[in-house]
Amino acid sequence: MTKLKLSGVSKAYGATLALRRGDLELDSGEVHVLIGANGSGKSTLCKIVAGSVRPDAGEVLLDGRAVTVSGPRAAQALGIGIFYQELSLADHRSVAENICLPDLPRQNGLFIDRTALRAEAERYIALFETVAGAALQADTIVGDLRADQRQLVEIMKALATEAPILIFDEPTSALDRAQVDRFFEILRDLKSKGRSIVFISHRMDEIFAIGDRVTVIRDGETVGTTTISETSPDAVIHMMVGEQETLATPQAAPPIHAPSTDIALKVEGLTGAGFHEVSFAVGRGEILGLGGLHGQGQSAILKALFGAVAPRSGEVKLAGERLRIDSPRSAIAQGLAYVSGDRGRDGVISGRPILENVTPIHALRNRLLLARPGRLAEKALPALKALNTKFAGLSHSIGSLSGGNQQKIVIARWLIDKPDILLLDDPTKGIDLSAKADLFALIRELAAEGLAIVLYSSEDAELLNNADRILVFNGGSVSRELSGAERTRYNLYQAAYEAA
Amino acid sequence: MNRLTGITANPLLIALVLIAALLFLGDALSPGFASGSQILRLLIVAALLGIVAAGQNLVILGGREGIDLSVGGVVSLSAIVAGNVMNGMDGGIPLAILACVATGALFGLFNGLGVTLLRIPPLVMTLGMLGVLQGLLVVIRQGIPSGRAAPALSEFVTRPFLFGLPGIIWLWIGVGLLMAFILHRTVFGQRVYAIGSNERAAFMAGVPVRRMRIALFMLSGVFAAIAGLCLLGYSGSSFANVGEQYMLPSIIAVVFGGTPLSGGKGGYTGTMAGAVLLVVLQSILTTINIDESGRQMVFGATLLVLMLFYGRGRGLRA
Repeated sequence: MTKLKLSGVSKAYGATLALRRGDLELDSGEVHVLIGANGSGKSTLCKIVAGSVRPDAGEVLLDGRAVTVSGPRAAQALGIGIFYQELSLADHRSVAENICLPDLPRQNGLFIDRTALRAEAERYIALFETVAGAALQADTIVGDLRADQRQLVEIMKALATEAPILIFDEPTSALDRAQVDRFFEILRDLKSKGRSIVFISHRMDEIFAIGDRVTVIRDGETVGTTTISETSPDAVIHMMVGEQETLATPQAAPPIHAPSTDIALKVEGLTGAGFHEVSFAVGRGEILGLGGLHGQGQSAILKALFGAVAPRSGEVKLAGERLRIDSPRSAIAQGLAYVSGDRGRDGVISGRPILENVTPIHALRNRLLLARPGRLAEKALPALKALNTKFAGLSHSIGSLSGGNQQKIVIARWLIDKPDILLLDDPTKGIDLSAKADLFALIRELAAEGLAIVLYSSEDAELLNNADRILVFNGGSVSRELSGAERTRYNLYQAAYEAA
Repeated sequence: MNRLTGITANPLLIALVLIAALLFLGDALSPGFASGSQILRLLIVAALLGIVAAGQNLVILGGREGIDLSVGGVVSLSAIVAGNVMNGMDGGIPLAILACVATGALFGLFNGLGVTLLRIPPLVMTLGMLGVLQGLLVVIRQGIPSGRAAPALSEFVTRPFLFGLPGIIWLWIGVGLLMAFILHRTVFGQRVYAIGSNERAAFMAGVPVRRMRIALFMLSGVFAAIAGLCLLGYSGSSFANVGEQYMLPSIIAVVFGGTPLSGGKGGYTGTMAGAVLLVVLQSILTTINIDESGRQMVFGATLLVLMLFYGRGRGLRA
């Protein structure tokens, strides 16, 4: 029996079409898996069901009737509960309050009934009693919990809605094996009671362990639904890749067999928050791609290499010399450069003139004391020109530019005094196509000049087209290295989705 | 809200217009208010405030809730230190200057270390430091005479020196030029704006954010100490808590001058105009017989009204 049906829902954010066409049928008593690559629209689809995003078009049918999910409250009233990937917990409140937050038990309609709150919360805590760890109690403050325990609390919060339809958007990313097993037992129990569950995970083994049916979503479009028992991980990956497999012909230079003397940067057993035991080497003139799903440690390791966060252990060697990097300042002094995709946070010095946004690295590396606008402009202009940056004048505020041009300004910083190693952390996020093309042309040029480049991109096509080698990250470590003809979308997905 | 912020587009112009208006008003209330000698006296008082506000301006520009509430305490302590070191003798002036600058820098260093290393919010840190300074002042003054200004110092502050203006006015002009140079023609100045507008981006571009912030608090202490030295010259001898009156006005002058409390934009020229404006306002209030408590209330209210126009934090909906 079809409980929930989405037909032809779509959603655009500005010019970006996040979801082109979403069709989904959810039966009572099934676990329905949703799978797709980075940015394919899974989360948008979930948010539409949960009411936190309104679709531009399409229909949502609940028990055969068309409904409008106007907001999270309406979703709750309709019997839809959701687990959010980016946890929605109040860090300073207790576990009990967080679990019951969507529907706090009241006394006289005004005061919170503490006894009922506790009893209610303890029922859900008891579900995970054997695997949650001693610290997870009703009175514990959520902020004091470990990451996996917080994720369990978010799961309990979703369960506590007792909604007939439950959506879990990557609920297991921080959980250990035993916790996942217990969670799956609970899901099977719910399923037997006729509840409908949408489940998103990037672990192929989990999908096949818990799913009844799987719907594949690719480039904002649901491309098909199959029964889990009649398919295989390989077949699912083929569905995710689709026609694009042939589309991604790597245009990169022939793979470079760098002799050991030409190794620019060597990372050995680097471990830190979000990544462990990562080792790799980048040669001069090479573009090394870091691939895989979002947040598998790619960004974290680039930040650690640049000194923005301290790694716990491991070694970094630059041209054979061991590096001591304790801040971006010392990293810059030793010839590293870093460009963040989050330019608003890490790059743009908002409200300041373009000139001041281009020259800070030049001033630092040359230990300048005076900021002479004429001299600095002489340095800044060629760097801006190399990227085809469009701007009216160096004294104009950087805020007056488009996102793509702002990012070019931030990148131009590193072009006045060239670094040895360029770390690119999803540098094209949210910038237009022509800016992307300018950027990648420049990156290839820089590599030809002998820079070693490490590129993380959340867009698989960018990696496949530009990287000489790709390290696929999965669960914080490198699961596979793709070079030469192995650089295909199929191999990339397979490595990204296999069990960590 | 756009209409409200629109009028604040040129704070300097607004301050100048208000100064002129207040001078006319003062002259109407009490003829002779806007006479040359009277204006000169107002400028001397404004210079003292303006020098304190220079340091305050730097700390606020540096962002992250930067504010220095301890300036008043440093002014008082510096006046006492200077008075005791020179003790009425011109020969002691160089040493007194040195002692004052060291005192200001030291307390600024404490503030800076507290804010950066111990991560105490500037408001709390500098308020605590003000408490320490006030306690210190009480201890120092027990039984010990607080010293006298050297004649040369008093002359520097009160007597015409060049083109009919006393030395302190020239000093203030010098501070103004220095501030403009630092903020607009040095890498240090660019970094002040950088950490004030996007600290994280500045950090990622290699700006030594902590050292910068410590330096700003130290400069604030030094400017306050120089003002304390000049204040001693102005009043001849130091008395308890002479500097207390500078805390609130130094902040108001900065905000009036177009530097929002959130930092990252603005400059010192506006602050100078703000300082003059506040001194003229204070003088008018005195002329119409409003006592100290009344003046304090007007100043406090001025700051609150100013916040409506300038420098409020961004709302939930940007």
